[in-house]
This record gives sequence, structure tokens and C-alpha cells, in this order.
Amino acid sequence: MTVTTAPAMVELQGVSKRYADVDALHPVDLTIAKGEFVTLLGPSGSGKSTLLNLIAGMVAPSSGRIVIDGRDATTLPTNQRGLGMVFQNYALMPHMTVFENIAFPLQVRKVPKAEIRRRVGAVLDLIQLGHVANRRPRELSGGQQQRISLARCIVYNPALILMDEPLGALDKKLREQMQLEIKRLHAELGITMLYVTHDQDEALTMSDRIVLMNGGRIEQQGTPDTLYFRPETVFSAEFIGSSNLLAGTLEAGPDGAPVLRTALGTFPVPAPDRPIERGAKAMLLVRPENMTLQRGGDTVHVTGRIEDSILLGGVVRHFVRCADGSTIIVQELNQPGRVDAERGHEVAAGWLPQHGRLLPAPPAG
Amino acid sequence: MNELFGSSRAARRITSTLAWLCYLFLLVPSLIVIPISFGNPGQIEFPPRQLTLDLYRQFFTDPAWWGSMVQSLLVAVATTLLTLLLAVPAAYALARSRLPGRRGLQGLFMMPMLVPVIVLGLGLYLQFSSWGLLDTTAGIILAHIMLTTPYIMVSVLSGLKHSDIALETVAAIMGASRVTIFFRVVLPQLKAAIAVGALFAFLMSLDEVVVAYFLTGTQTMTLPVKMFSSIRWELTPVLAAVSTLLTVLSLLIALGIIALQRKTEASS
Repeated sequence: MTVTTAPAMVELQGVSKRYADVDALHPVDLTIAKGEFVTLLGPSGSGKSTLLNLIAGMVAPSSGRIVIDGRDATTLPTNQRGLGMVFQNYALMPHMTVFENIAFPLQVRKVPKAEIRRRVGAVLDLIQLGHVANRRPRELSGGQQQRISLARCIVYNPALILMDEPLGALDKKLREQMQLEIKRLHAELGITMLYVTHDQDEALTMSDRIVLMNGGRIEQQGTPDTLYFRPETVFSAEFIGSSNLLAGTLEAGPDGAPVLRTALGTFPVPAPDRPIERGAKAMLLVRPENMTLQRGGDTVHVTGRIEDSILLGGVVRHFVRCADGSTIIVQELNQPGRVDAERGHEVAAGWLPQHGRLLPAPPAG
Repeated sequence: MNELFGSSRAARRITSTLAWLCYLFLLVPSLIVIPISFGNPGQIEFPPRQLTLDLYRQFFTDPAWWGSMVQSLLVAVATTLLTLLLAVPAAYALARSRLPGRRGLQGLFMMPMLVPVIVLGLGLYLQFSSWGLLDTTAGIILAHIMLTTPYIMVSVLSGLKHSDIALETVAAIMGASRVTIFFRVVLPQLKAAIAVGALFAFLMSLDEVVVAYFLTGTQTMTLPVKMFSSIRWELTPVLAAVSTLLTVLSLLIALGIIALQRKTEASS
């Protein structure tokens, strides 16, 4: 959990949303600090879009209080919340030129004409699209349109910029460029951003803090590092990064240290963050890049047969089929002259006990 | 289609001949007046033995004809403008608000389309006579607004269905008020739909005869009513010239509508 010292830009206190008899969002507490880049990450239907719409004022909460920039905004209409938003489909006005699109929020705020011209010019320079000022959005590429839509937010300096899957319509390469561009603008301008995505890589790349949502609740929140290396639940572990999970029962080892008895053997495990009862079901998480293929060693390992090895460029992924039918993924750095074990060959996949992480077993059902 | 139903040449020829026959059946009565209108002013004849513009001269010099044409144009323009003022905001409100009884209201707006025009004419006649609106230009305009409202509503509602609601959302987030959103975001997107509806309304009002026959008198007679009574009382060949003028006008407006619809399809 991060301790935020900066003043809060957005504060949700017990905010929930219920439709007929479906809880789209269970009561949630969330604080976003000034200048922070927070990502709402989760599968579809996890409540992240509902949360965004609640902050934007497009739906009214069933309970709780929403404070934006020190002002109670719970019942404030959308157009008085002082927010900005970037949509997946850009939502640029087709009947206006690029210049007019960016000028629109300033005109709404009755900014004098000369200043509008100056400020629109400045943001167009910032996103390096000054040369398309007089074109219509339709004539631009997807990436350019999304940059315009971002500029349209930046130009009037809103308290918070909401981004709803803004890069979902772009191809992979452009998406990566745009991720860096958004990060750059965030760092240069110190804007507070709330970013919604279902793409874990995007969340890891961009965020100061990730809020992982699941089933209308906040599953876990923290820095990308925390979520990646210290997931608290099996859902967190599986949603972010790839993971090897060994299910078993927690027991005390010969020296009193905790061990996990699994179908593939008994392994020493580090102490969990939240105590788990001895004799309870638990799961051991080991990230694929923390495992190595070895031909017999004295570290902790499971044995199995190589099923496949695939090349991902900088890394190689080995799939090891174990005796109980489960598959363990081992990821190693690629090197010139690498020799893979043959398919069907017996190998041991080992890890350092301190690289494992003990998680409570997910609730049944 | 051809693959499904056999593509023999004979079959294709028969279908296209049939289609052309249908077009001719529909078009000939309108087209036949065109040559007649350039004929002898003395009598109605087809084909005309000499080509003159005498009938047009008669039309434009006889104040009874010319006046009713001006009256019709005045009524049609006023009807169109006033209907737009009423129907465009109404359609927007119906499409975007969560007004209780929205469906019922929408049905109410469409009613004039479903009630037989003759019944409407009779009802308006009885109502307007007690209000002193018979034989007034305001009365006929009011009646035509009623008739044309559903058409503009339908056109604008379908335009709204195609417009992107995210644009209105984003405008609201940027701080725009409902009024600003309506004029600067919604209206520009509805331009084509409004134009199509307006042309329809103009055309409907221009050649509407049943209700106008009930409500107008000698002071306020519109062109279709004048034509109708002229058929009954004098049967002058000037009718051919008037019909030709109306046909050409309708054709131009129809072409305008088609062009606008093409444009909207291309842009969306």
C-alpha cells in the first residue's frame, strides 16, 4: 500500500452502484493524489468503467460520497466537475477542424479569442501536430486523432483526466509509442490521470499506482512492482504477468519453518504477508522468469518432461509437463548458441525458495 | 440474387421489362401533362399540334393562379420553418431524455400520420370554425404543421440514432451546458437529417389538398385547391402548365433529398 502525502485530487468514500438487483460496484474507497497516474485494471465487468462513469458524473452513485479537488461532487452535474476525458473512439467533433476541436472547451469557458489562439497553438506544438490544425479529424490517422483528443483535455487544465481504454483501437507499435507519449505529457505537465484498461502490460508500463478490480471490488492496489512481485491473491497473481501456481496444504517442516505439501513434492515457502493457518489450503506462486531449467541441482525443484520451447525474441519459454498433468512455465534469457533440451527430455525446474510467494487458496466456486 | 434464382438471360430480361412497365405505369400520368402544357391554349390535346408557351403566360399573368401559387409557397415556407422549430427540439428531447411516458409522447407525435387525412380535415374544420380560423392563412399553416411534424420527427430521430452520443458526453465533461451541446454538437451533426425532413415537409405542404380544401376560402386558396376547383368548374389547359411546374419542383426537391441522403451515408 502506498502512503500518499500529496493532497487528494479525488476521494471516493464508500461509493457503490447498484442496477436493479446487480451490484456493478460494491462500496469502494479510493484516493487519487494530485499529479498521480492511477490505472484501473481489470477484466470486463469488473466495475472499472462503472467507477469511471461515477467519477465523471454520468451515473449517480447508489451510496457514498465523491470529492473532487476538495469539493463534494457527489450530485454535481457532469459539466461542472471540471474534468477531462479521452475515449477509445477519440470522440472528436467531425464537423470541426482540429483547431476548433481543441478550442471548444476554451470557448465554453469564455476565454478571450487571442488567448484561445495562443493556448491551442501551444498544445498543438506540445503534441507536435501544429501542421494539421486546419484539417478535419477524419483526415487524420488513429494515433493523431488520439493525440488531438488528449490535447483537447490538456488545453483547459482539468483537475483530472479520465482515459477509457484510450489506446484500444490502435495497433501494437502505435500503442507503445502512445503509452510513452502519454507518460511524457503526464510527467511534464503534472496532470492527475485516471486510466482504465484491461491490458496488464499497459498498466505496468504507465502507472504510478495500479488499482486492480475484480467482480465490482478492488482486489488489490499498489505500485506496478508491488502488484507484480507481491500479489495478495491468486486473482492478482494470474491477472498480472504469467505465473506458476502449485496448490497444496501448509504444514510445519522439520525445523518448524513453513512448507507446502503438494502433489509434486513438499517445498519450503516464505512466510505469507497475512498469516495462513497451518493445515489450510494454500498456493505457491513462482514467476516463470524466477525458474531455471537445470539437470539435477540442490535448490528446490519439480521434475517433468519438456513439452515445448518457444522463442519470444529476448527470452525463451519452456513448457514442462509434470507428473500430475500440470504445466510449469520456465522463462530464460535467450543467448547466442543456446541449446534447448529435446522435447520429451526429463528436466528439473528449480527456483530459490525466497522467490516463491505463498497465497491463500481462492475461495471455492 | 441471380445465382440463387437462376441467371438465365430470358428470366433477367423478363424481370427488367416488368420493372420498366411498372415505372412507366407510375410515371406516364405525370409526364403526359408536360407536352400538353406546351400546346394550344384553346384546348387540352395530346400530342400537341403546335408548341407555344401561351399556357405559362396565362398562368403567370392571371392573378387568381399566380396569387394562389404565392399563397402556397408562403404556407409551405412558414409551415416548414415552424415545424422545424417544434419538431427538432422535440425529437432531441424524446431521444435523449429519460422522460417518463416518453413512448406515449412519441406515439402522440406520430398520430397525424395514422389518422385518415379526410377525418383530420373534417375535425380541423369543425374546431377552426369555432375559433374563427377558417379561411385564414394562420389556420392553414397550423393544420399543415400538424401534418408535417411526424415526418420531420422521424427524419431527425433517425439522424440522432446515427449521431455519436459520446460526442455529447465528451462535450458535457468539457463543461458545455445542455444548450451549448444542442447548438454546437448536436445540430451540426443533424444538418442533413433536418434538411431532408424540411424538404419533405415543404413538399407535403405545397401539394396538400384535402385539409386545405376544408380550411381555405377564396381569400386563402392554395394552388392545389385552386387546381382542384378549376378541374370541376372550368377544366382549362392552364392546369397542364401548373402541373408541369409542380412536377418539376417536386422532382428537384426529391433529387435534393436523394443527394442529401447519399451525402449522409457517405459520411457515416
